[in-house]
Amino acid sequence: MMQAYLENKRDASNIGTFVTFLTLGFAVLGVVIAYLVAFGWMPLGERANTLRSDINIVETIVVIASLIYALCCARTGIGLLQREKSSLRWSQWMLFITIMIGAAILLSVIIPVGLKFALLLGQDIDLRAIINNDPGVSDLAPLALSVGETLIGISLFLIALLSLLTLMVFIIPPLDVLRRIDGISMIVSPPRRLIMAILVVMAVGVICILIAGAFVVPLYPGMTTIRAADNHRLLAGLLFFLPGLLGYRFVRQVEEESDELRRAIALTPGKYIRSELAKSPSAGAIIGFIAIFMSFTMATDLFLEPSSVASFLSNVATKGIIAIGVTYLMISGEFDLSVGSILGVTALSFMNFMTHGAPVFGVMEPIPAALLAIFVAFILGAINGVLLITTRIPSFIVTLGTMLAFRAITLVAIAGGRILRYSDHHDALPVIGVSNLVFMALVVIGLGIVGFTAYRVLPVWYRQAARAWSIRENNGDFGTTTAIVRTGIFLLTLLVIIIAVVWLVAVFSYHSSAGGGQIVEIGYFGLFNGRVQSIGSEGDFFHMSIPRNANVRLAIVWWFIFVAIFHVILTNTSFGNSIFATGGNEGAARAQGVNVDRVKLQNFAIVAILTGIAAIYETARNPGVDPLKGEGWELEVIAMTVIGGALLTGGYGSVVGSLLGALIFGMLQTGLVLVGIESRLFAGTIGAIIIAAVVLNTLVRGAQRN
Amino acid sequence: MEYKQQNDNALVDMIDIHKYFGSVQVLRGVDFHVDRQEIVGLLGDNGAGKSTLIKVLTGFHSLTRGQIYFDGEAVDIESPHDARELGIETVHQDLALVPLMSIARNFWLGQEPTYSVGPFKFLDKQKMASESIGALADVGIHIRNSEETVGTMSGGERQSIAIGRAVYFGKKLLILDEPTSALSVGETQKVLDYTIAAKEKGMSVIFITHNIRHVYEVADRFTIIERGHKLGDFYKSEVTETEVADMIVTGQIPERLRLYDEAVGEES
Repeated sequence: MMQAYLENKRDASNIGTFVTFLTLGFAVLGVVIAYLVAFGWMPLGERANTLRSDINIVETIVVIASLIYALCCARTGIGLLQREKSSLRWSQWMLFITIMIGAAILLSVIIPVGLKFALLLGQDIDLRAIINNDPGVSDLAPLALSVGETLIGISLFLIALLSLLTLMVFIIPPLDVLRRIDGISMIVSPPRRLIMAILVVMAVGVICILIAGAFVVPLYPGMTTIRAADNHRLLAGLLFFLPGLLGYRFVRQVEEESDELRRAIALTPGKYIRSELAKSPSAGAIIGFIAIFMSFTMATDLFLEPSSVASFLSNVATKGIIAIGVTYLMISGEFDLSVGSILGVTALSFMNFMTHGAPVFGVMEPIPAALLAIFVAFILGAINGVLLITTRIPSFIVTLGTMLAFRAITLVAIAGGRILRYSDHHDALPVIGVSNLVFMALVVIGLGIVGFTAYRVLPVWYRQAARAWSIRENNGDFGTTTAIVRTGIFLLTLLVIIIAVVWLVAVFSYHSSAGGGQIVEIGYFGLFNGRVQSIGSEGDFFHMSIPRNANVRLAIVWWFIFVAIFHVILTNTSFGNSIFATGGNEGAARAQGVNVDRVKLQNFAIVAILTGIAAIYETARNPGVDPLKGEGWELEVIAMTVIGGALLTGGYGSVVGSLLGALIFGMLQTGLVLVGIESRLFAGTIGAIIIAAVVLNTLVRGAQRN
Repeated sequence: MEYKQQNDNALVDMIDIHKYFGSVQVLRGVDFHVDRQEIVGLLGDNGAGKSTLIKVLTGFHSLTRGQIYFDGEAVDIESPHDARELGIETVHQDLALVPLMSIARNFWLGQEPTYSVGPFKFLDKQKMASESIGALADVGIHIRNSEETVGTMSGGERQSIAIGRAVYFGKKLLILDEPTSALSVGETQKVLDYTIAAKEKGMSVIFITHNIRHVYEVADRFTIIERGHKLGDFYKSEVTETEVADMIVTGQIPERLRLYDEAVGEES
């Protein structure tokens, strides 16, 4: 396409002009960034934390790179304006440098921030520190290498795998294409050392996160002085990274469209952007998330403080769990107004089972009570589903009815509509004694997961690496970069797996040396939704412990685990496929043998069960339940889901979208307060955001229909 | 009431089919059969009951009265899933594909290939992508990218994919419900080619339409439905295109054919 533009063909001139001016715009951007960094408006590296007049190495590199980048952009743009053939070669370099600078800056932010959180999590987590640091339970033995750490170890392992995958997705495809484009138009060998450097940095990041979680070893210089100034680096990184990636993919797509597919209709920038958005259901949410996140980080330094982040995460975690279920339901074309009431019934009956007792079982221990309460929620969800299927009334009406009806249960049937407090009936909060054999069993399970992943992933990535090397041999020196990258990925994965295994074995040997029958006591409520807090005093742990005022709740971890599980179910199973089909075109789904009614019934049950689980977490956070618990939640949760990209009409949406929707919701709730805007504006802002999200969704759908 | 199969070699034999929706009698005693490797054109004006007859066969509607024999055995088809199990694939007029889903996902909907990890089954996405492209190419449909959503495609492309899917999965019987109603001349010709390809693969085909021109070229036999009754079965050699068209419009059998049809009626 750009070739056609250079040959002055009329049909290509629109895009050509767009790209040309985009390029010139990037040139200006490069100069602006170089200026900002050089004169201290955008401090990077160590200097970010201190007031200094000189310029440090990171900044020097960024300034020089930005200037080179600006030069490349300007050269390309001018070349394109004059229709010089050779300008395409400049554009390759320009885009390549953009991505590399962006990645480097982003890494300089991601690694410390990741480290910060990894270190927070790596500390001894006091699961006994239940609700507001209750002093009554502080005499229990500390839990070194306990369930919390096992959980965290496994999640860190997953995070590390995830970062590797991200690396594969974001770095490798552009490289491959770059080679291919090179092969067609000109030969430019990519700067191999730069890629190696990036890989090494990323590898260090992954290793840091893992080691920080496992052994708590300081590796990254300057990590003792990380402050809110990270925001600026994040901003700079995104400023480079995103336009670069977008521009690169645009050019790539344009090339593909013209050279290979020869489509009759030319791709316009508008169409391109819409089709890019169309590929991901959560595109709108991603854009919104980045925009709002960046606005708040720029507006106030308080926003990235651990206590703010912890507070907004803790506030939306339970709603986020419900939003997962509501997303499922919405994708299958229905929705549920009764979740708030189900939450109320579940929370109240959970508390009631523990204080007054259930009909058959009597006064119950927390875990059986929780299971029974979740079963109650399941029954309520099943009532919704059965009503919908048998009567064929729209789900709006059915669940409007059950919303009011279920609320009546909390107001009348349970505890006579009074507030139930756990402390009114029991002296101490409940604890559970766990044999360390259980921890050893957890470790064995963890080892199984790690081993299985290794067994599935390693051979594949090894084969890919081997193939890349053989391709390189057949093509002279031509595939070296790809081969190196693939080998790097294989080795990194191997390293991750080895570290995970070593760590798990260490945990196992700790517990086995302690002897078989040792009992460790954990607070029930703490396990459900405890407040995670460091045992040491504030600030003594490389200046990085969780501040005492930060409210990190365990429900956040559960939330992310649920998101991961339900995301996989939705995108990678036939059940997920039938959910999409049911909402997208019910008749077609039925015609292909999908049992549409069963899918809907299952989804109502899923919503109810997740709501029940959320109710348990809510109760664990504050063991006093009033009968109006959860009122108004149904609309908030639907708002999160809609912001996350799900269509009210069904057939479209994603679990990750619901996560982003909930995060946006939480960021606004906390951020508006932090920037000093009246919190009464919150509802209005959310309203505006919902409308913007729906408009975006409509654009996306438009792109898919034509 | 006892039923017995009338046409011993038929793949499908539907006998005395009645279907009432409340007090509305849509089908009133229709006999319909399809032989092996035969293309039957099921014709009739709008509202004649063609689609209802087919929806009874494919399990969308339950029978009020009557009996269906498939492959020589009496069957109860209670859901589209049952019909699929028997080897019946249907391309519905408006129920073909889910526009917001990708080609590969649409192609495999309802029978996704999976691999197992312990007790869990996950979609085999590689197989979904490669086999859907391959299978569609086999019937002459070339798609660029199986991850493209169906909503981005033209009506003809969508119809092609739906038919390609039915031919790929269909084992015995392929039913096309108004496949050409929204298509251009070129696309219609393609659909007719797919029909013949399905027949050559050993399948029988029911081709429903109210436009005789589209089906006359490929069909072996025509069955005409008129207000819930069967007007008659006519082999292509016996009738001209115009005669069939007249029958659909007027609901009357021409003088020339009437005697023959009554004779058949006495035999059975």
